[in-house]
Order: sequence, then structure tokens, then C-alpha cells
Amino acid sequence: MAKEMTLVSVGIDVGTTTTQLVISMLTLVNVMPGSQVPKVEISHKSIFYMGKVHFTPFEDRQHVDGAALREIVAKEYEKAGVSPKQVDTGAIIITGETAKKENASEIIHSLAAYAGDFVVATAGPDLESLIAGKGSGAEALSKRLHACIANIDIGGGTTNIAYFDRGKCIGTACINVGGRLMEVDPLTHRLSYISSPAQKIINQCYPNRYQAQNGDELAVIQTCLQSMVECVERVIFQEPILPQDSPLIMTNLLPDVKLDGVVFSGGVAKYIYLPGIKEWWIHGDVGPLLAEAFQKSRIYSSLLVHEGSETIHATVLGAGAHTVNVSGSTITVSKHTLPLRNVPAVYPEWEASGKFSWLKPAENYSFYRTVALVVPSLDNTDFLTILTLAETLACELPLIKGEPKVIIAQQDIAKVLGQTLQRLLPSIPLVCLDGIELAFGDFLDIAKPLPFQDAVPVIVKTLVFAN
Amino acid sequence: MSLEDSVRLIVEEFLKGMDKEKTQPSFSTLPLPNSSRIDECQITDLTEIDLQRYLQVPNPVNKALYEEMKLSTPARIGVWRSGPRPLTDTLLRFRADHAVAQDSVLGEVPEDFPVKYNMVSIQTLCQSKDEYLTRPDLGRKLDAENLEILSKRCPKGAMVQIIVSDGLSSKAVEANIPNLLPALTQGLEGMGVKLGTTIFVRHGRVAVMDTIGEELKPEAAVILIGERPGLGTAESMSAYMAYNPRLGMVESERTVISNIHKGGTPAAEAGAHLASLIKKILNAQASGVNLE
Repeated sequence: MAKEMTLVSVGIDVGTTTTQLVISMLTLVNVMPGSQVPKVEISHKSIFYMGKVHFTPFEDRQHVDGAALREIVAKEYEKAGVSPKQVDTGAIIITGETAKKENASEIIHSLAAYAGDFVVATAGPDLESLIAGKGSGAEALSKRLHACIANIDIGGGTTNIAYFDRGKCIGTACINVGGRLMEVDPLTHRLSYISSPAQKIINQCYPNRYQAQNGDELAVIQTCLQSMVECVERVIFQEPILPQDSPLIMTNLLPDVKLDGVVFSGGVAKYIYLPGIKEWWIHGDVGPLLAEAFQKSRIYSSLLVHEGSETIHATVLGAGAHTVNVSGSTITVSKHTLPLRNVPAVYPEWEASGKFSWLKPAENYSFYRTVALVVPSLDNTDFLTILTLAETLACELPLIKGEPKVIIAQQDIAKVLGQTLQRLLPSIPLVCLDGIELAFGDFLDIAKPLPFQDAVPVIVKTLVFAN
Repeated sequence: MSLEDSVRLIVEEFLKGMDKEKTQPSFSTLPLPNSSRIDECQITDLTEIDLQRYLQVPNPVNKALYEEMKLSTPARIGVWRSGPRPLTDTLLRFRADHAVAQDSVLGEVPEDFPVKYNMVSIQTLCQSKDEYLTRPDLGRKLDAENLEILSKRCPKGAMVQIIVSDGLSSKAVEANIPNLLPALTQGLEGMGVKLGTTIFVRHGRVAVMDTIGEELKPEAAVILIGERPGLGTAESMSAYMAYNPRLGMVESERTVISNIHKGGTPAAEAGAHLASLIKKILNAQASGVNLE
């Protein structure tokens, strides 16, 4: 079965400053020899179309301009020669400062519905950090070097940090430090806009208002940026957080580990890798100056700096090409049950009898359409063990709200477990998958099965990294 | 100085060094392995050590990475050395694994095994393991007596005939059938497939399914047979499937799934996968290359 097939995956990143769309082709192939149980994997990812970098349209400081955004996406689709109907999967992420706008959620969901049937709408700083690290190549680098690499994605509004230890993300943080927190007039080089986090820093650095207003503006900006970068340093080097840091740190779930290296990505990273720009005001913001501050920081001097494969495109590439997993080929899926969106992963409790129970944990998620019950690794995969497990599930499934019933096994047992459950509960629609790495607090999007009947693309949305 | 002279010098140096070692026995402080009598029962079975978790390199520079590499492959990597040679440990393990493989080929599936799983037990023309190994042709044939057992005890014209055979690994049968068979029958029955009585063939080759097919005329047959063992595992099993099994069918008409064992596809999952594959064969009324 040397059949190959391609998935069209779209990534759209609506960031603080820029919006971009990328279309990738994911090649899926059976990686096992013909005489073995097939296993479908993504063998190749290629960029089919890289959209232009657009400025994110705003109606005013608090509202994203939905109509204009849709126009941008429509034009990009047209240029790429792809219609939303051809899109198989992908992700839209609304990131940085934009995610805080009042109509962000409404915009992203309407955009998701328009951009393609199976495109996933997601937001959240942790996921963004992870995606940026995948897109920048930091994840691949850490896997290749068997090392712990930090990816620092510096955008317009936020700096997103993700740690990858030998290819696995072990923690993320999101800090309100970005190149567009202050805007400047390209002609007069004077500050034209100061965002609220930046204002707080100015107030902190210059308690005396007069000093800030009458001093050398460039010096004021540089002092503030340095103060912001110092906050990032404290987070990365696990140093005590100062009071002025708390308004900047949005999330911080970085573990205390020794870093082997660092990769910079995001719009600002370009100026870290290519320093020496004279016209620091060219973008009408303080991005190049922020890059300079990062270059002078301990992060740059004390850690080994690697160059990733992408800088400004990291997040959009990550969203388009790196979000999709393919579940094993021995799975059980009832007809017409997919696609599903935003299914929370529910881990079982150990009962005194040594059995698992999902009843109580599932109650916490009762407002979702359905939940995915995670079957932890079993001591063995004997038929009897699976039968016992299936009997437990058969008792509990009818009591847990939502359809279809989704079960995610950690070991290669989805087919036998699914068939056993179908025998025990013949009329209940079922989706039983394996070969997906999950962690507590993950959400899943499951697309419709591929023409290879037995494989489904799954997008795991990791929102929490705390153990 | 000629080459011969320099070689002589080197050898002399070397011998001198050896003499020194003799005069100061460095290993005298170590307890000798035979200093206490070892009870034979206390010797651990070498093959029970999980090689992928067995770290032989003393003081590895990067233990985490070493572990990860070992876990990524069943190959014998990172086994350390004694001078340019492998450790005694490594060599013994290699020979132990080879012995397991031989035992598996030469061993017999216990008499009560087929009874336990309600199988009808028959034997090919091979009278012994030696004959089985040297005469592949006989492993495909049944005598009149065994054919009669089939016609008496097995219903004809089943949708699917399941056959189990020791093949080249009796261990594969014992290790996999208890998990594979219930998963396979559950899967097939769940899809409304009527099964014949499962048959156990002693000293069987894959093509014995043709002989059985000729006698019982099932729509399709599957033979679960022990694979020739290797040094990695001696418990690997294959499943060969054929639509309309009959004498004279060609090998390309068989569909195969191999590597069914703990480290490959687990037996229960393989059973479930086989069930859906056999259903596909029934629906397409074809197997092997004709199914693709």
C-alpha cells in the first residue's frame, strides 16, 4: 500500500501587528512495509503558498475590523488559487494583543467558518508559544541535537517563550513585551502611541512625570525596553519576579531546567540576527530597538544562540503545518461522527478496586458537546485486560453526556477496544483512536477520516503545561 | 631499522608488559566468580533482561540520551566492550537469544493447547520436526485419516475458516493465540461473519490452507502461523489470508500481515485488524494482489 495522499492545511495568524496566511501541503504515507499493519504518518510538509504580511486591520484600539480581515483572507485564497472548500485542516490563531480585543472571539469564529470547514479556531498564549516554537524550527532543532532549546518569539505585543526538551515541549510563558507596545511617528521619531503595559513601565522607570516628558525620548524608550527585557531575563533564568514584572507576565509555566540554547523568532528576531539598522523607526514602532535590547541581554550573551529556520513566519507556519497529528491506522470510527471540535481530554481516576473511572472527572466538562476519555497506558495489552477495560467503559459511557463517544488510547489498542465496545454497546456512535500524545488539559479537534479509511487527522491543543 | 626489527621490538615491549602484570596481579582484590558455589537455580535467565533498558556502558556521559537511543531500537547498540571485543555478557546474551530461537523452532505446542481453545487438531504428512524442516512439501499435505477428521468434525462452507499452525515457531502460537483468537472471532462475529470450527495443524506450512480449503470449501481462510524466529524475538506470528483457498492457487493471491508480537503489533490489536481486513476480502471477493 504505497498510496500517498496530501492534505491541504491552512494557517492564519492574526497578530498584534500583522496578519498572515500560509497554505501547506502535508503528505501522508503508510510508513510500514506492505506485509505489516499499516501506519499512516505525515512524511513531508511543504509550503504551497506563503501569503503577504498584512497589517492587522483595526476599527479602533479596542476592535478588530472583521470585514477587512475577511477581505484579506479572501484575497489571499484567491491569489493562492485555493477555495475554502479544498482546505482539509489547519488553524487560525489570534495572538498577542489582538486576542485581548473586545470582539476577538467573535471575529475568529466567523473567520474559521469562512476559511474552511475543518479549520480550527484557537487562541491562547500558551498554544501560540508552542506553535511558534514548532514553526521556527526550535522543536526540530532540540530533537536533532537532543538538547533543551528555548524558543523566544518576539512579536508586536507579546514575547512567547517555549522550552523544548529533545523535541518535547516542556513549558511555555507569555510576556507582554513586544515591538509595537510603543509606536513612533516615522517622520518626527516621536512617540505616537503608548500601550497600557508600556505606560506602566514608563511610570515605573520615570516616577517623575516631568522627566519622561522632557527628556530625550529615544533614551526613555531604550530605558523602558531594557526594563522589559530584564523582566524576560528574570523569567528565563528563574530569578525572583519583581513587583513591576507582574503586569507584564501573562502566563509563566516554564520549568527550572538548564537550557542548552535559544532560538529567536517573530518579527523582532530579524533585527536580532541582522543587527546594525540605522533607521530604527522604519516600521513606526520600537521593534528594532527591542531587538537591540535583547542583543545586550544575558539571554543573548550567556546562552548559545541558534538560528531557526523561520523568524517572522514562525507562528503562521507552525499553525499551518505543525498542528496536525495523524492517528494510527488501527482505529475504530463509527460512520458520520466526524469532524469534532474542542473536545476536552478527560483523564480517569483510580478507584480503590484498581479500576479506572471517568465518571467524576467527566462531570467537570459537562457543558462540552462531548468529551474524549483517555485510557492511560495499561500494564499489558492482553485481550482479557482490554475486555475488562471495555466492560468498565460500557458501564460508564451511557452515563457520560455527549455523542459520539470519544476514546483515546495511549497504546496500540484502539481497534480491538473499539470492536469490543461496539459489541457491548451496539447502538452508540463511537470514535476510538490511538497513537496520539496527550497531556492533562489538552483539547482535541478531530477531522473527518481520510480516504485511507483508517486514519484521521487530529489537532491537539495544549492549553496547560502545569503538572 | 628494518620493519622486522621494529615488530620484534614491539612484541618484546608487549611481553615485558605482560610479565609485569603477572607479577602484580591487579584482579587479586576482586572476588573470584567461583569463590562461592553458585546454586544453579539462582542463575537468572539472561533472555529475561530487557535489552532496551539494560545499560552496559559504565558512567555514560549523557545517560538520558543513551537511554533514549537504546529505547529507540531493538538492535544491540551501546553494549560496551572489553578491549576490541564484546563483553562476555553481550556474547552470552547473543547465544542465549540464538538458543531461544532454536528452541522455538524445535519445540512442540503442548497437546492440550488446541483442546483448550476448542480447536480440531490435525497433523500434516510430517512425522517429526526433522522431517518438517527438511521436507517443506510434506508440511502442505494431509493424509486420508486427517482429512476424515476434518470432514467429520468441521462444518463445510463456512464464511471464514480459521487455521492455527505451529510453523517455524511453537512459541509464537502459545504467546499470541490466547489474545489474538478471541479478538479475531469477536471482530468477525461482530461484523456478522459465520465462522467454521478453528483447526490446529501440527507441522504445518502456509499452503496447508489450500489443502484444507479444498476439503472444507470456505469462502475465505486465514492461517495464523509461527514465523521463523530471529534474534530479536522468537514469538512473532504471521497471518496469511486467502479468498477461495484451493490447491494450485498462487502465492500472490495471499494477503499477509506479519510481525505480530509484543514488540510489533500486539496480538489483540492484530486480531481486530485482521477481522476488518478479512471482512474487506469477503466484500471484494479477492485477496493478495487482487485486493489492492
